[in-house]
Amino acid sequence: MRELKHLIYLESLLDDSNNDLVRKAQAEGKLAIGYTCFHSPEVLLNLGNCFSVRLRAPHTTSMEMATYYLANNSCEYARALLERALEGGYEFLDALAGVDVCEANNRAIENMEIMHIQGKDKDKFFYCNLDIPYSDDEDCVEHIEEQITRKILKPLHENYGVDISDAAIRAAVEEQNEISRILTEIGNFRKLPNPPVTGYEYAVLVLSSYVCPKYLIKDILKETLEEIKTREVDPKPNFRVRLGVVGSEVDDPGLIKLIEDCGAMVVFDRYCYGSFPGRQVIELNDEESALTQVCRWNLQNTECPRQCAAHRVQRRYDRVNQLFHEFNADGVIYEQMKFCTYWSYERTMAAQIMPKEYGINVLSVDRPYISGQSGQLRTRVQAFVESLEIKKIRAEQKEDK
Amino acid sequence: MAYNPKTGKGLGSFYKADRYSFTSREWRGFKDTFYDFHRWLYLYGFMAAKLGCHPILMVKGMLRYRWMVSYLTAANVMDKHTMGLRGKELRYAQNQFFSVLHNSVIGVRDIILRDKNLRPNSRRAQKLREKTVMFDEMTPHHVMFGFPTLKFIDIAMFTIGLPSEVDQNHTTYYIDAIEKYGLAPDVCPEPASECGCAIVDDYPRVGKCYVTGSMPCDGSVEQTALMTRHFSDLPIFQITVPQRINEPEIQRYAVKNMKKCIAFIEENYGVKWDWDAFWENAKMYNESSECMVQKWEVNATDHPQVCGAALALQREYEFMAAACMDKYMLKTDRRVTKMMLREYERDVKNNAPSPKYRCLVWACPAHYYTNFTYWTQHCWGVTCVNDMECMLSYLPISIGDKEQAMVDLCRLYERMMMRSHTNGGYVNILDELWKMCERFNCNIVIMYDHVSCKNVGGLHGLFEDQARERGIHLIWIPHDVMDPRTVSRREMREAFNKYMTTVFREEPLDPTLLDYEDNLSW
Repeated sequence: MRELKHLIYLESLLDDSNNDLVRKAQAEGKLAIGYTCFHSPEVLLNLGNCFSVRLRAPHTTSMEMATYYLANNSCEYARALLERALEGGYEFLDALAGVDVCEANNRAIENMEIMHIQGKDKDKFFYCNLDIPYSDDEDCVEHIEEQITRKILKPLHENYGVDISDAAIRAAVEEQNEISRILTEIGNFRKLPNPPVTGYEYAVLVLSSYVCPKYLIKDILKETLEEIKTREVDPKPNFRVRLGVVGSEVDDPGLIKLIEDCGAMVVFDRYCYGSFPGRQVIELNDEESALTQVCRWNLQNTECPRQCAAHRVQRRYDRVNQLFHEFNADGVIYEQMKFCTYWSYERTMAAQIMPKEYGINVLSVDRPYISGQSGQLRTRVQAFVESLEIKKIRAEQKEDK
Repeated sequence: MAYNPKTGKGLGSFYKADRYSFTSREWRGFKDTFYDFHRWLYLYGFMAAKLGCHPILMVKGMLRYRWMVSYLTAANVMDKHTMGLRGKELRYAQNQFFSVLHNSVIGVRDIILRDKNLRPNSRRAQKLREKTVMFDEMTPHHVMFGFPTLKFIDIAMFTIGLPSEVDQNHTTYYIDAIEKYGLAPDVCPEPASECGCAIVDDYPRVGKCYVTGSMPCDGSVEQTALMTRHFSDLPIFQITVPQRINEPEIQRYAVKNMKKCIAFIEENYGVKWDWDAFWENAKMYNESSECMVQKWEVNATDHPQVCGAALALQREYEFMAAACMDKYMLKTDRRVTKMMLREYERDVKNNAPSPKYRCLVWACPAHYYTNFTYWTQHCWGVTCVNDMECMLSYLPISIGDKEQAMVDLCRLYERMMMRSHTNGGYVNILDELWKMCERFNCNIVIMYDHVSCKNVGGLHGLFEDQARERGIHLIWIPHDVMDPRTVSRREMREAFNKYMTTVFREEPLDPTLLDYEDNLSW
């Protein structure tokens, strides 16, 4: 297939958290609000003249300083973020909306707070640590609404004069929905037998939408959608199996590239920084406040294994099963950032439950933060692809007989 | 001091590399040896009276459950904690630990009488189960204050928590089971072994419903998910305590959640919340907390009394396992407090010598080495005057005010073991440590470095930096909470020895304790 027109530019935007579009927006007087986790509702960080930047630490090599401050068994994602923060990589931020969801992430942000990683002239800068409930009932919605109002909206308004009205929230939701519609439309092409977009390309598009100001990335995504609609595909698909990737943070599209280089096509992305969840349209009604609805949407759509209530656990398995069938996948890779406790348990359970109860073939792996070059991972994915391929061939032979 | 320079014999001589138990009992002088032996006999007598009258069930239990065999070594718990102690210290420790074992023995009896696995066809067991609520570990049971007609049993505490402190190698089988299932070995062994116990189906079934909670750490949260699946045939409720426990605003949600739990129990057991019983139990909690605070206050002086594990473990079990509803434990509190105040007055009057070094214990301790602080005391003269693990909720429950009492009840959950310090932000563990160092006049902190804990580990560098600024000695002692194969007791001692010889340039009080092999011992 011919390369997408904006792909190289979008890849370059992923090379640095403080990328071209972030700098452009800040030069226009916008405020950059950093966040790390789906549980900080992205849409509420895009009110008025704010824009959200989901933090990443691309091209991380050494994590020596962060390993001293955290621990050598802390999740590499959290360590990479702290390392980048200590290097001054997030000085451009105007606020950091953290969440007390997992130990490593929480401690990383607390370290940033104590060591004042914000730029010197950021006297209005604020940190927060949201208390996120473990379930999704209406008491939980009320609880999270109070947390967000007190810890994000109030300081945004008081420190920066940001408009936090219902109308402003609805406008932000509409802007995000527009992005989500475009990405969903692009993502749906992956359901086709010979998709005109690869998993890697889609990962780059989705990631860009998390780390760039929405109003600046929107047109690029729109144009890319039009391009994909008319994109000529290769006569024969250049992949042997279709896979879904499920798990913790994948903010490095290099991982998806590695999987696709092994002869697979990543057809759905159910991981943190992926499109499930995060790039679905948020439907609002007029009867209830937009804030309440956004809080409810976020709680009900999170796929984090931290939600340990039985119905939430079941929902996650069912969701993977639904995506598996919707995107005609042949197997699922359950991946986990090394040392992530939540996903460690989740993938252990899923590796047993998904094949037994849903008949889905699963590869269960843990991986380093920067995993695009991991030879060990490549070998395991190759073996998985081959095993699925053999199963497919045998199934076809059976049908022929 | 137990070391005899003439013979070269000391407390280390009681350990042998190929032995599970001590080589012999310690001679402490006639009076103390007599007292110690009498308590030892009393403990076995008590166990025989409570458990020996169910011989068939006990045998069945031991054949069915691997963890139950560990309880046979219960008397060794007493011995390993009281070794080297004399006079008042011996009596404090004997009383404190006996109250823990008293509660545990009754708990084991209650389990075997109810267990569906052991007594599948017994109508009596069935009837008992109908009135029993099963609890998860790290889910305090104080909600039972208002249900006097129901019994509660902490199944994870009796199968994993307590036996792991009785026998250091107890949990390794369960850890291996869950790791064979696919769990990464870097997670905390405590929830991992609880999950392993579920995988090999080693939990007793002693109740009609199961109450669990949002646990204080990531591993425990996931353990909840697995256990919920394990007990999926039972009605289950999860008490989801908020994380940011210092914020008053979270109480609204916490109270609502607690009321839901009460409604769940009412509905499933057909009983009503009883405020009169609640006030009675709340008074017991208040009194036991008052005793605890008195111990802290005395330990902050130059003449600390109830120190080390005798202080910490008893409060842990009283609060977490017995929910401060055990009358025997309260009686022990009263007795020990009275004894402590009398001895304190005597020490002040006689200008008794103070401990050579005072220290605080911070962060999650090793279950397999609960007598570590007694070792530091006997080997190096470093006395532990307080322990983070016993700094649990101590503020009283408001008696008579129903709304406030609910908030107070939630606070017990928010300030339970671990969560009290590891949740709610760094102020609860980092800033709190410096406050406690000042309060207890300590410049040494035994900092437990639980190698699988990502929570306390996440502040490692800040602890180091801030301790250096304050001139406080942080002695990091690595351990793996329930897995002695990762860091052995010997390696823990070695870390402490190194600090004492290199930084303090100290000589050991008992050289036989410097280095010995105890990988097999219980």
